[in-house]
Amino acid sequence: MKKAFLVFFMLVLCGILSFSQLVGIPREETLIVDISGARASSPGNFNVYVAMWETPERGVQQLMLEPLWMMEPVRGEVINALAAEGPIYNEDFTQMTIKLRKGCYWSDGVPFTADDIVYGVETTMKHPEMAYHEQFSMYIDKIYKADDYTVVFDLKQPNTRFHTNFVDRWGAWRPLPKHIFEKVDDQITFQFNPPISSGPYVLKDYDQAGYWTLWEKREDWQRTPTGMLFGEPQPKYVLFYYYGEETNKIIAQANHNLDMCDLTMEGFRALLQKNPYSRGYRLEYPWIGATDPNTTGLILNNDVYPYNLKDVRWALTLAIDITDYIGIAYDGVAPMAALHLPPTPFYQKTYYESLQEWLKNFTLDIEVNGEPFKPYDPSATLRAAQYAKERGYEVPDDINELKEMFGPGWWKYAPDVAEQLLLRNGFKRDKNGKWLLPDGTPWKISILCAPGVTNPQYRNALAASQQWRNFGINCSIVQNESFVNVTTYGNYTVSTSWPSNEPWGGHLDLFRVFSPWHSNYYKPIGEPAVNGNGAASRWKDTRLDKIVEEMEKLDWNDPRNLELGMEGLKVLVEDMPTIPTFGYPSVVGWDEYYWTNYPGAENPYIIPYHSFPNFKYMLPYLEPTGRK
Amino acid sequence: MLFIKRYLLPRIVQFLVVIFVGITIVFFVPRLTPVDPVQQVISQITSQGAFLDPAAVDALRQSLTEMYGLEGSMFQQYFAFWARLFKGDFGPSLFQFPIPVMDLIMNSLPWTAGLLITTTIISWIIGNILGGLAGYFKNKAWAKTLDNISMVLRPIPYYIFALLLLILFAYLLPIFPSAGGYSVGRRIGFNWPFISDLLIHSFLPAMSLVILGIAANFMTMKLIVSNIVAEDYVMYAKAGGLKESKIAFKYVIKNGLLPQITGLALSLGQIFGGALITEIVFSYPGLGTLLYGAINSGDYNLIMGITSLSVIGIAGATLLVDLIYPLFDPRIRYR
Repeated sequence: MKKAFLVFFMLVLCGILSFSQLVGIPREETLIVDISGARASSPGNFNVYVAMWETPERGVQQLMLEPLWMMEPVRGEVINALAAEGPIYNEDFTQMTIKLRKGCYWSDGVPFTADDIVYGVETTMKHPEMAYHEQFSMYIDKIYKADDYTVVFDLKQPNTRFHTNFVDRWGAWRPLPKHIFEKVDDQITFQFNPPISSGPYVLKDYDQAGYWTLWEKREDWQRTPTGMLFGEPQPKYVLFYYYGEETNKIIAQANHNLDMCDLTMEGFRALLQKNPYSRGYRLEYPWIGATDPNTTGLILNNDVYPYNLKDVRWALTLAIDITDYIGIAYDGVAPMAALHLPPTPFYQKTYYESLQEWLKNFTLDIEVNGEPFKPYDPSATLRAAQYAKERGYEVPDDINELKEMFGPGWWKYAPDVAEQLLLRNGFKRDKNGKWLLPDGTPWKISILCAPGVTNPQYRNALAASQQWRNFGINCSIVQNESFVNVTTYGNYTVSTSWPSNEPWGGHLDLFRVFSPWHSNYYKPIGEPAVNGNGAASRWKDTRLDKIVEEMEKLDWNDPRNLELGMEGLKVLVEDMPTIPTFGYPSVVGWDEYYWTNYPGAENPYIIPYHSFPNFKYMLPYLEPTGRK
Repeated sequence: MLFIKRYLLPRIVQFLVVIFVGITIVFFVPRLTPVDPVQQVISQITSQGAFLDPAAVDALRQSLTEMYGLEGSMFQQYFAFWARLFKGDFGPSLFQFPIPVMDLIMNSLPWTAGLLITTTIISWIIGNILGGLAGYFKNKAWAKTLDNISMVLRPIPYYIFALLLLILFAYLLPIFPSAGGYSVGRRIGFNWPFISDLLIHSFLPAMSLVILGIAANFMTMKLIVSNIVAEDYVMYAKAGGLKESKIAFKYVIKNGLLPQITGLALSLGQIFGGALITEIVFSYPGLGTLLYGAINSGDYNLIMGITSLSVIGIAGATLLVDLIYPLFDPRIRYR
């Protein structure tokens, strides 16, 4: 009797409570995506124009705002969004003109015009609290409209890349609605709630506790760049939800309450076992793609002995077996990056392929068997494929497919050459084979990384420490919550911050990669570097200075830029101030229960990340399955 | 008058000194860490992918330092902080500038207070009653069963226990949500649909705290009562032929509650720190994750705001216990 009551009680409970995440919103018309950042602690604030705005990835940059231009890494192009065409500079780059797309409207029905740009830029220049205030104040002399759809910037000094402030690459200066902001007394404390959209969705509702934000498709979606360029977005609603812990994401997607999310590789594997509708960027191993415009690796502090020695930096590089390294870090799935540039298909095509011959013939200043040593190993790709096969995975035989999967080669695993490089600099081994510095003290390396065990920084630290320990160096990992600060101020020897600044992603100009390394921006230890990535290595080189200075004078579409990009990459290879290892391994989990035609490897029509502003351009391609 | 001079005044002075010292420590400690809030913001801007012209970085750093009020020596900042605090203003959040710290706190505090006050009181009441009875009637079968259950539950790390509940009731038997404070699309209001939704969302976080809280209170109370039952006055009451229930409740459990009252007051005072792990596991809103984020980003003002409230809460709870204790323990007098 008691048992029967218990069963009855549980059934009633299930019946009453069978939990529905959405109230009054049809699930089959809703795309639910994960917020990868954090819950919004001031959820009612949508004034994204203030510099420190916290979580743009709750739909604000993906759905609400259109930029003037959008960087698209997978397509390898810069999309004209609110701008009708690319920037027009005068001959000496002291004036930039922007032609605006006609027929675009704010979501409240007011046309988008040059007045919005002029007012927005002037307001930004007026308020130090606003994002891009410094850059605009530094460069803009005057801004005015030539007509309703033409804006002219007079610059204080020549600037060939001034327009990059408006190119959205996970952040840019995005136009704000003049007719709203001009009526506000204080544009900084103004909450912009409800917000007015230039993008294809409008705010429908948001969680007072900051966990979710719900967006609804605009009835006039045709009057947005997304609608004009790509067509009608398919989901009527898009829900951004912060699930936080990975366990929650896995549970949510296994219950079909989450369509798109970021995961760790371990979480992704667990999800695949629980939900037959889940998939990754690739349908099979290695599941991820080389699509993220970002390189991971190791930063060596070039102001600290012995990392100021090129031989030492190269010795550490040659002491790494990249297949083993990526196997330790990411079970072999991450694409290797020999250059200070992500191995995305776009950059493989533009730079990696172009530099292959040079890389193969590149020699270090050391001889092996009487021949100059060539450190590049194009067969590393095949070794990675072999590693996968040994693990029981099927991989294609086509070398081009393999390069796209595993990256286009890396440096040889040559501990013998690494040893020679060290010996000639006075290093020696003790009786146990451990390396000693020239003064006889043991060589110890502390590798600084972010806390947690799933981030690429930790995974790089783990793999490097094992590789270098095998080589005879005493290594330890130091996890620090202030990892970025410590690296930026130079209080480290080896850090796992990004080895170089991120490139644009979909454009061949590498000014963004090289410029932070210009000696003008060099900062000694104790002073913050211009960023925590490559520049924090405190390396400088007059050859790179000259390349940056020449780039500064060239239009970013000038063909000479490609040559300069290659020259700069060669300098970085020769000096190896930091060690790039693999492209950022973004693991996505997509549920095909309600929606299909995600931008996977079989159909890579757009960058596949829901946190990127390009997400709005993905939505017209999605297809509902019709499941209720 | 003697009460004020000898009892109340010294305790209020002590209360104020604790708050002053606590807040002073909280002011200086974050500033001694390597976290630089200005650099954190610049890093966030650059790591998000937006292009920040290297030539503009120094100018941005200067602007942010001025806006955050981080110019001048640490002591100048310290005095400016007290001047602001006396006006009830913790200043703007540095990482979410210019949103006032109090706005951020008030956005999270109701969730934390609702969850922690309820669960602390429920687990305290149930745990102490059951613990008291199990301690007094320790040879009964039900007492031994309860003891065994709490012995099993108590050592389970909270994180594991919370995760277990989450997987059981949000995945294997998906009757409760795995995240959030209320459903998407639900209109906030004082009505049954919203309240029931709120209760459903808080059920798993609350149960994780209540069950382990009961186990902890149960074991402590049982131990206290086990010692009290061996006291002479209890033996004397038994020998005097008093009713068993009267001895249990009036002689034993009542006395056993004295240290537990202190524990309750302190637990309630600590709610301003939030329940970080609960919030993380169940993606439940609250002050814990707000504080954690503030520490990571070096948001001095937000750290100060939350921890100052926490210091005031704990010191206030201690003062309250001091003041009301004589009501519970006749051996203590207001003199």
